[in-house]
Amino acid sequence: MTGFEYARPESLEELFALLRAHGENARLLSGGTDLLVRMKNDPAFADGFGEASGNPLVVIDLKRVSGLDADISESGGRIRIGARAVMTDLIENKRLQELFPALIEAARVVGSVQIRNRATLAGNVCNASPAADTAPPLLAHGAILNLVSGSGSRQLPLDEFFAGPGRTVLAPGEIVESIDLPLPTEATGSAFGRLTRRHGVDLAIVSICCVVRESGDVRFAFGAVGPRPFVVAARRDAAVEDLVKHASPISDLRASDEYRAAMLPILARRALNAAKMRLQESRERRGARD
Amino acid sequence: MDIIGSSIPRLGAVERVTGAQQYAADIRVENALHVKLVSVPCAHARILAVHSNDAAGLPGVRGLFTAADLPHPVPRYGPVYTDRPMLATGETKFSGEPVAVVVAETEDAAKSAARLVRIEFEELPAVLSVDAALNAQSPLVQDAALRPNDPLAGTNTLREWQFGWGNVDEAAADLVVENDYSFPMVTHFAIEPHAFLAAPDANGVTVWSPTQHPYVLQRVVAAALHFPIARVRIIAPDPGGGFGGKGWPKVEPLMAWLALHVGRPVRLVLSLEETFQAARRASARIHARTGFSSDGRIVFQDIEANFLLGAYADIGARVVSKASYSACGPYRAAHARIAARALLSHTTPSTAFRGFGTPQASWAVESQLNQAAATLGIDAVEIRRRNLPARGEAFNPNDTPADGEWNTALTKAANAIAWSAPLAPNRGRGISLGLKSSSTASRSVAIVRLHFDGSASVLCGTSDMGQGARTVLMQIAAEELGLSPDRIAIVMGDTAVVPFDSSTSASRSTVFMGNAVIEACERVKMQLRQMAQTVPGADGMSPADLLQAHFGPTRGEVIGIGEAGNAYEPGHPLGGRAAFWELMCVACEVEVDPETGETTIHKLVLVSDVGKALNPHQVEAQDEGAAVMGIGHTLMEQLVLGADGRILNLGSLDYRIPSIKDVPLELESHLIENADGPGPYGAKGAGEGGTLAVSAAIGAAINQAAGITLRDLPLTPERIWRARNEKGRTRNE
Amino acid sequence: MTVSITVNGTARTFDVQTHHTLLRSLRDQLNRSGTKECCAEGECGACTVLLNGRAVNACLVLAVECDGEEVVTIEGLSTNGQLDPVQQAFVETGAVQCGFCIPGMIVAARYLLSSNPHPSENEIKEGLAGNLCRCAGYSRIIDAVELAAKRGQG
Repeated sequence: MTGFEYARPESLEELFALLRAHGENARLLSGGTDLLVRMKNDPAFADGFGEASGNPLVVIDLKRVSGLDADISESGGRIRIGARAVMTDLIENKRLQELFPALIEAARVVGSVQIRNRATLAGNVCNASPAADTAPPLLAHGAILNLVSGSGSRQLPLDEFFAGPGRTVLAPGEIVESIDLPLPTEATGSAFGRLTRRHGVDLAIVSICCVVRESGDVRFAFGAVGPRPFVVAARRDAAVEDLVKHASPISDLRASDEYRAAMLPILARRALNAAKMRLQESRERRGARD
Repeated sequence: MDIIGSSIPRLGAVERVTGAQQYAADIRVENALHVKLVSVPCAHARILAVHSNDAAGLPGVRGLFTAADLPHPVPRYGPVYTDRPMLATGETKFSGEPVAVVVAETEDAAKSAARLVRIEFEELPAVLSVDAALNAQSPLVQDAALRPNDPLAGTNTLREWQFGWGNVDEAAADLVVENDYSFPMVTHFAIEPHAFLAAPDANGVTVWSPTQHPYVLQRVVAAALHFPIARVRIIAPDPGGGFGGKGWPKVEPLMAWLALHVGRPVRLVLSLEETFQAARRASARIHARTGFSSDGRIVFQDIEANFLLGAYADIGARVVSKASYSACGPYRAAHARIAARALLSHTTPSTAFRGFGTPQASWAVESQLNQAAATLGIDAVEIRRRNLPARGEAFNPNDTPADGEWNTALTKAANAIAWSAPLAPNRGRGISLGLKSSSTASRSVAIVRLHFDGSASVLCGTSDMGQGARTVLMQIAAEELGLSPDRIAIVMGDTAVVPFDSSTSASRSTVFMGNAVIEACERVKMQLRQMAQTVPGADGMSPADLLQAHFGPTRGEVIGIGEAGNAYEPGHPLGGRAAFWELMCVACEVEVDPETGETTIHKLVLVSDVGKALNPHQVEAQDEGAAVMGIGHTLMEQLVLGADGRILNLGSLDYRIPSIKDVPLELESHLIENADGPGPYGAKGAGEGGTLAVSAAIGAAINQAAGITLRDLPLTPERIWRARNEKGRTRNE
Repeated sequence: MTVSITVNGTARTFDVQTHHTLLRSLRDQLNRSGTKECCAEGECGACTVLLNGRAVNACLVLAVECDGEEVVTIEGLSTNGQLDPVQQAFVETGAVQCGFCIPGMIVAARYLLSSNPHPSENEIKEGLAGNLCRCAGYSRIIDAVELAAKRGQG
């Protein structure tokens, strides 16, 4: 009666070999703030047996893989956030603060300080909770994932990444290497908002990000009101009510579907107003620079 | 009198800030086996078979037991009713009730073995609500044979009471307000989950438990084992939060039996989830009918209170009787009728919880006053003023009269919240009074040992669970003996060492253990005076010199025993009158987001009537903590049950308590000290006041801010939104 | 598996099971029982320790992950029996009641002050939002952090 196996590969090659060898019995460990909670409630981890096969589960720690970093770097018209960047790293990054304040607002509310010091952005995305706080801002800004596996790499827009609650389209043996945020090419304003049961740390009942651009494009991205976070694009004068009708909230312990549905347009309106104010600030900043 | 009334730093604070303090789970006993409990995933089930071969065969497992392995008939225990079996026998009665228990060399082995135990069971219909408990067609939670000669034994009503005076049915009132109120099932959620150890010892058995009442635990364990009390020793490490949840026996009798059966120490640390399943507050549904004259005076109070206990009585009946008896609150009423029931259900046993039933009753009665005030056009402060008794006036004709300047508390709170100032939009204010009776019949004994060098040890059975009892008792001893704090040792938490104490509950310890300590010190001083008569030159001698002169080379010590309590009155419905009343006035101002229903408490003011604050910081800290706990059950806490009786929000993720971001933006506490209590230097007790009436104050403020009337706690954003919405719809139709 | 972890400045090498959390290893193997277990799922903060200088929930970190890393627990804050300014402030403001949340709370406060020596009240609330207390109204805890900040926490 032993626990699961633990591996700490030091290169991408080692990592891919482990993934090939263990297939469905592999579990990736980065910050651990989702995985360890699952482990606590799942006897398979303590007994070390894979779900079907009777082979031990293997937890693969990504934190020493030399090909994965925590860098947040800017080049080629995008900001690239490495797979190992944690929420605290994002929050402290000046360029993200300036250009993607909605993402910072979302990162700030992922759990507590203790959670944010461990939870990676990539992990939050790969966990694919419908209520993941960082998903709406990433979606609304058109984030692109850099995926890599033993057989190559590809890019995938985030809004094609979520398959359902807790499920992504990652192929076997494939991981997220980094997340790209295209730099805005025009004045942009963005805002994030969410509703929780208490003022303190909590999961979102409803979450929303709004991005407005100088050209008149508006994008709303929603969380916790459907099986996946999703994005809706429109023109600025589109009715908020039209946008929110794409949502399919459910009733659960945290809130009823009625309440969620009623709160969406309210939060959307508030996010839109805040984004418009930031658009104005962005205009002024760009005007000042020219 | 420097030390009394001084906020000296808490004894034990240094150990706590350095991590040195030993809580129950930190205690290591050599050679201990690890214990894990096994239950079935529903509330009410017939146990068909327990398959344990796989589990018992795991390496490191030293035993696996079910009710079949216990003595027959299965030992039952409980502080009042001996209704709870050591292990579920025949049927489980609540989700989490232990059916089997594993002991193993390591925690991992115990956990793995517990997972391998397969219990075959048949789920049975469960009684999970007041309505279900009252329904004569519902299954019986407890076998009627458990309460022979009890006419209620064939029902799910454990007990019922009728209290009151006057003649409600013939009372004439200008306005009758009649409503139903509900108070949810909530859990203590002390940050320390339960943990227990037990070991056979030279006399019998020792049990370690962070219990608030070591002497209750001692007698209950002894009775369950058929041991004389002398053979059971309870060691009680300071609890990491009690609030009543660590008062009454949980699984200690099973642990004691296990230790004796396997002949080794045993250790059990419950998870937070298991702790939620082990204890909770009684929920309640209260039907209140209150008659007022046109000037706002209460003519009658007619209250029907149904409290939902769990599957076993624990101290639940006492919660109901005590709270119902004083349900009318601190107000005069010419007539009163209170019908109360303690109902059984297939849920976690309800136990004591700070406030002891009064928060539930206050929520109803204070809300009634607020509604009457609005209907009659009388200010909510004023309507209370018109009904408050003056000091010395009887408001419950059969009990202790008002023992404080309660009007002063009301005025102080109203001023502190700026009651009459204009209100900004979306804001509301509320005010309420909470009153709780202290102990009715209890006894505390203290021993003071003056050592040869003039230092002293104080031995007492009070539990320090964060309220600062150790510090206050030390302050009293220092004052009485004229010693500096560093010359005094306070010894607690071991029935082999400290004398009898009824309990640490009912906000009683400062008064009763404090008085016992004073008496013990008096007896020491009396013996010193007697010694002085036979020692030449005794005048001007220090106690140490006097002892030396008196005892000589053999040395010795002087022991004083003190006792305090209030007598049992057999004719009184509660066994005795209140030794003192604990009164708290709460005033608040809140803001409600008109679109989302989210509430922000801008300011919360607490005014409590404490007689004398022996350590003001500690009293204020208790009041504040109690208020924040009350904010929890007012705004966000509720245990949610599934149809099978399992707690759906088991654990910290979905059972939300106030965090540092949920507290009032401003929190003020005031103490009224008129030295008019029966305790040391005029002290009364404190510690529960903050939970008593905070709901009604916040509820009134929310109702005003949002233009709604809610009568069911908690007042979550969604419920507030729904009430506003429904009101809006009705208005438009 | 064998791991080497520096705990409160001392390198410790010992065997762990893969599923043992850092919290468990600290308490059961290294006899550092100052760090407490409550929710075991990262919601309450009672198990807060510093891992490579950052405040984390020890219940959400595996012992094996800490091989080669540095951990500071509540026991590591005081030196030679001298309380550090945060500990001292907690004693003085009456922030300690039952004390079970206190080790985690103090480590979190220490971490907050190390990067933000003069936090506003809101910043204190954000910094301690992951530490639940059931005894206090939290206000004296906030007072303690402000007092430590005023005195210079280092």
